[in-house]
Formats: sequence, C-alpha cells, structure tokens
Amino acid sequence: MTATAAKLGTLEYIKTIGVTNNGDNGRGFANPYSIAIDSSGNSYVINRCDPVRARAIRASVQDFDENFLFEFSEGYGSGPGQFVLPVAVAFSGDDELYITDEHNNRVVVYDAKGKFLTQWGQGGSEPHEFDGPAGIAIDSSGNVYVADQGSNSIKKFTSTGEHVSNFGSDEDGRGLNQPWGVGIDDGDNIYVADWRNDLVKKFGSDGTYLETYGGGGDVRFNRPSGVAVDSEGYIYVTDWGNERLCVLTPDGLGYADERGRATLSKWAIDYFSSNPDETTVRDKANLIPDLPPEYSNDPYHVSSQTEPYFWGPVAVTVDNEDRVYVVESNRHRIQIYKRS
Amino acid sequence: MTTTASRQEIKLMAHLMRRAGFGATIGELEARAAKGYATTVEELLHPGEAGDIPQDIIRRYHVDQSELRQPFSAAGNWVYRMVTSANPLEERLALFFHGLFATGYTKLNQARALLNQIEMFRRHGFGPFDTLLIELSKDPAMLLWLDNNENHNGHINENYGRELLELFSMGIGNYSEDDIKEASRAFTGWTLGNVDYMAMRAMKDSIWPYSRIAWHFNFDEGDHDAGEKTFLGETGNFNGEDIVKIICKQDAAAQFICTRLFQFFAADQVTENGQVCIDEMKRSYFESNYEIRTVLRTLFNSSYFKSEEARYARVKGPVELVVGAVRTAGSYTKPTLGVDDVAQQAFFMGQGLLNPPTVEGWHEGDEWIDSGALVERVNFVANELSNPDQPGVRTIINRLTENKESGVTAEQLVDDCLEAMGSLDVSRDTLNVLHDHVAGIEKATDDKNELGSRIAELLGLIGASREYQLA
Repeated sequence: MTATAAKLGTLEYIKTIGVTNNGDNGRGFANPYSIAIDSSGNSYVINRCDPVRARAIRASVQDFDENFLFEFSEGYGSGPGQFVLPVAVAFSGDDELYITDEHNNRVVVYDAKGKFLTQWGQGGSEPHEFDGPAGIAIDSSGNVYVADQGSNSIKKFTSTGEHVSNFGSDEDGRGLNQPWGVGIDDGDNIYVADWRNDLVKKFGSDGTYLETYGGGGDVRFNRPSGVAVDSEGYIYVTDWGNERLCVLTPDGLGYADERGRATLSKWAIDYFSSNPDETTVRDKANLIPDLPPEYSNDPYHVSSQTEPYFWGPVAVTVDNEDRVYVVESNRHRIQIYKRS
Repeated sequence: MTTTASRQEIKLMAHLMRRAGFGATIGELEARAAKGYATTVEELLHPGEAGDIPQDIIRRYHVDQSELRQPFSAAGNWVYRMVTSANPLEERLALFFHGLFATGYTKLNQARALLNQIEMFRRHGFGPFDTLLIELSKDPAMLLWLDNNENHNGHINENYGRELLELFSMGIGNYSEDDIKEASRAFTGWTLGNVDYMAMRAMKDSIWPYSRIAWHFNFDEGDHDAGEKTFLGETGNFNGEDIVKIICKQDAAAQFICTRLFQFFAADQVTENGQVCIDEMKRSYFESNYEIRTVLRTLFNSSYFKSEEARYARVKGPVELVVGAVRTAGSYTKPTLGVDDVAQQAFFMGQGLLNPPTVEGWHEGDEWIDSGALVERVNFVANELSNPDQPGVRTIINRLTENKESGVTAEQLVDDCLEAMGSLDVSRDTLNVLHDHVAGIEKATDDKNELGSRIAELLGLIGASREYQLA
C-alpha cells in the first residue's frame, strides 16, 4: 500500500458464487468469461469454452443469494444469436444484454429473459468492421463501446449498431495494443484495459484521451483484462497476468491489491454435503501451501495451486450497491467484494 | 542450383533436421548449411529463446489452455510449442523423455501436471542424467502415476522403485529384487503436498468445487526411512538422491540411456556399426558426468549418424509426422480453433500426447504402422500439404513459380518439390508415380494459378509417399 492508502479504505470480502459445471445444463459455470448485473440485481454470466465443450457456451442467470434462475443461448455456431468465442457482456439502461463474440466478429443482443433480439457487426478492416471484438460498455445514452483487438481501437456505435467513431490513441499518438476489457463511470468516461501495453487508459465518451494508469509509480499492471468504476470513482482492475484485483483511488494515485479470498459458495457447500469423503480429506489440507521455488515466483502457477486465490481473473463489474464482482475463468466462480 | 558438394551438405542437414527436429524446408536447410553442420549441432544442443507463441496470447484465446483441465487442450498447448519453437531438438528431447518416462492422463486426471513434467524435461533434459532422474523422482505426476504417495516408512510400495530400475535407467537383469526393495525404502516420504486430498480428487476425477488444484512435491521427513540400506553392492543410509547417483555410475545405465537415445534419434534397429556408435556415446556419458547434451553431440557428430546406413532408418512417430507436416504447411502459427484436433489426430495414429498407453510408453519403429494408422497418417499429411492457402505451402509455391520460365517438365517439377519439402529422397517407384501425376505439366505452366494448384497436389502426394513416413 502507498501513503495514500487511507483514502482506499478496506476491501471487504463478501462471498463467492459458483461451482465448476462440467458442461451439462444447470447451475455452475464452465469457464465464465464476463458478467453483467441487471436492474433487479441478477447476475448474467457468459461461459466461453473451446469447441470440445461447445454445449457449455451459454449465459446463466442467478440472483445474489445464489438461486439459479435460468440459462440461455441459441447454441454454438455462427447462426442468429449463436456464439463461438464470446468475450464480454454489458446491459443497456433498458436491460438488454449485449454480448461480443470475437470469432463471429459481431455483437449479439438478448433481452433479460434470454430471448434473442438482434445482432450487428461483421469482420473486416473498414472503420465500422470488427477484427476480434472483446470488451463492451454502454453509456447513459445507449451508445456502445467495443474494444477491437485486431485494430487496436475502441469502436463506438449507437445502440442499433450504427458506427459513430473509433479512438484509442493517447496524447502522444500511442495506440492501444490488443485491448480487452472496457469499463465506464457515471460520467460516461471510458476506461480501457490496454492488455498488451500493461496499462489502463481513460477516454471521454467522444474519444478524447484523458489519463493513463499503470505507467509509473507503484501501480504496475501485467496484462490487465478488465476494468470497472464504482459510484465514487474508484477504479477496479483485474490484473490478469498478476492474478489479482487492483483498486485505484479516483485520482489514480492510491493503490491496493487483492490476491483473492474465495470461500465455499452455496453450491460448493451443497456438493460437499453429498460427498463427505472429500470433505474429510479437504479439511486436513492446506489450500494456501508454501510452494517450491520453481512455482512461487509465477503468479499463474501459484494460483493454479492455491484455491482461494484469483486464477484467471478475466472481468470485473460493479453493481448499483458498489459491490465488486470478479470473474475467474479457471476457477469457475465469482468473488464479490466491497470497499468500505 | 547447388553444387554437388553443397547438395550433399543439404542432404546431410536434411537428415539431421529430420532427427534433431521435425524436418525443415529447403530455405531453413540452406540457411543452416551455410553455417555448417557442427555449428548447427551446437545450436540445437544449446536452445535459446524458443520464439514460440507467447503463452499469454494462447491463454487469452484458448481459455481451456489457461485452465489446462482437458487432456487434449494440454496436448494442443504442447503442439503449439512444437510447431513454432525455434528449438526443435528441445521439443524432440522432451518427446523422447515423455516416451521413456511415460506418464499418462489416465489415472492422474490432471493434464496440467503432465505439461509441468514436460517443462521439467525442457529444463533438465540436456543436463546430467542423475539430475534428471532426481527431478523425475520428485515430479508430482510421476509420484502419483507410480504410487509413490503410497510408499511409506515400514510399508513400502515398490512400484516406483521397480520401474525406476527396470524402465527408466538400467533394464531387467542388472539388479535384484532386494535392490528394488532398498531403492523403494530410500524414496519413502517423497510425496505430494496435501497428498490425501489430491490423491482422492485424482481417483474420483473430481473437478469440484473450483476445478483442479495443481500439485507440488513435498518431502515428508516423518515418513522417510532413514535407515541403512544396501543397494547394488553399496551400503549406507541412502535417500533417493543417493540411489540415483549409484544407478548412474553403472555401465548398465550408460548402455540403457545411450541405446534408447540412439534408437530415438539414429535408427530403430541397432546394427554392428550402430553398437560402435553407442559405445562412443557411453564413453561420452562417463567423461561428461552423464551429461545428455554431450552424449547427443557424440551421436550427431558420429560417422555412423552421418552415414547412408542411418538415413531413413526410422519410422516417424505420429507426433513427429503431424508436427512436421504442420511446420511445413505453416499452419497453427497463431491461436487457431482446432489445435486440439491436431493432437487428437496423432492419438488416432497411435500416439496420444500426454496419454501413453502404459508406463512402458509406446511401441515404436515398425509398430507405428498398421493399416488403420497408415490411412490416418496419409490423410492428415496430404490434407495439410495440398492446401495452397496454407502459408508454408504458399511459400513453396511462390519459390517454385517465381522467375520460372514456361515449359517446366514433370521431372523438374517433381525434383523441385522434393527439394522444397526438405531435400527428400524417394525410390524410383515413387518417382514414377509422381512423374505420372504431373505428366503434361508443360502445357499448364503459363498459368501461375494452375501451376500452383498442381504443385500443392504434388506436395500432398509426396506427403502420402512411403518415404515421407520415414525419417
């Protein structure tokens, strides 16, 4: 922590939602990749898997109390509403769910009940075309911002998919490098996880460059994947390469990080209640072990062996109570925190 | 055109790269030949930056290869490395040790641990054999694969001790049953962290609640038998490291590892001349304190290895074949849906990466080929190499069509294609088939697209030849 740590407050762990789903229907996640919260507080989580588990590529919906509600998709493929490699989800103000797909090079729109509504976008190198759409955010006017990996830009569209503009360069003309996540604050400023530049960048909704985080001082990212901003302007970054969550003060100077504190979710407790043999040996295990030196300097390997830690933190979002949801693709769960 | 002498150098370099790598195109062969044979051997023996696809790029695209839960995803991850690495011998050597110390997904249900073992082979494969065997004895996948987690002070489990002597270092006839028991005592306490929970999860193939938890080595001193042992005629309070060091100074260990290296890199069958080469390798083994790099240097620089007797004296293993074809075709050089299917194709041909059939590994040589496997082999290679849209195939087509005067003959075109695919030698019968296929090509050569299509067909046909099945 830095000298400005007091401004950060404390990041309280609230709970974990999720359990590994082996690809069949029902509750649990299969490589969850992004999350959005609707106006009722229900979470919509998109799974992303390789084709061998194509049937698990779908969105699942649950409430904050971990009641599984329903799931939906139009199946695997490139037909209407279908997915191949979905990346990110975001709700519009009227509870329509926008989902990017980097393979199909498009945005697919569903309503909050899981009904397919429309889709737009196509692959190509023209300004309005996609080359690997990734993160997505929607502003208060319904404009849609998509991070396009191949063109290293943010593409702005109207809610119906009409192209507005592209942006991404900073004041010195330096561009984005395979951007991933996109976040937005209450003032409609756009935050970009500039993945392969190891930075987070802030732009106005018109594309004006405003600020860079992670370029100096204590804050150093390693392949940031996602970014979200709470109602007080605090910035949350899933620092994917370091397997952690970073919290920045609104001025970007104060900084803290969180390695992860997952506990058993309600669904995980249900699993162990019907598998007492595993419970007995698990209770004797140290799930935060001291590791040999060949593993201990690499956050990825440490997380692979340390169950409570974040492993594959691919996305972050904040709900209307400023609770912070971190999606872990490799642990198939969501860890929830809140700053106090 | 190359001179006769340099053509021989190219042929020798092609032979080396089929053995110490996965084959090479004519462009790479020319570049390596310009540096010289001995220099190339040293470069292969001293891997630098692999220059393969960065893991962050792979993990972002293939979430399955980030989690590494599915065996074919883990195998696909290794395929990317083999296809794009600038250090092909490093990968070939890892593949050799994967077959020798065969550890499989079945029983472990932990693909990540297997890939970590392969990485260990990269770290230690060129180094001293004793260091490698000690690392192998601490490898989490091996510990669980051969039940050393069940090998306790006072209640030994002989499985690892037995296979260490029989399959990994000396072979039957060079030790007694008592030696097995004493070695097993020395490895008591060599286990995994959180061993009970991890062993139960492996046994139940449990992915709950939050997917696999990777494994790490743990020495449980309280479960280690520190008492006196007599092993291969020596007595002391031996631990596992001591056992390995005693093994590695045996002539039987030198004979074992040198012969296995010879059969993987030089020839399936050991002839009289081959045994002379193995004897040279054994001398290098002892003079270098068991360093595998030195042993391989002796092999690759030997007169036997360079001789005609050693050329095409091995049947390519499925992984060699598949990776070689993909490297020539230039596919899978960036994250691509379907890479796990490449690994599955090798499985259909009889070699499931990270999933050998038993601890004995695969039966190699002629046993790779049966009618079913042959069809799979021919189809895969022909499909990869006959596609003119593959970047590597396109490079060959461009090379053969640029500045080409019209009226190229069938004989010239076949020669050029054989050269482009890595200076490949084929029999008269094969040559006749290839000539027949492009008979009359002179009339088509004014049309570059037509010529390109015919070249791609020819490359596929060469890939289907008997000679392409051999290294």
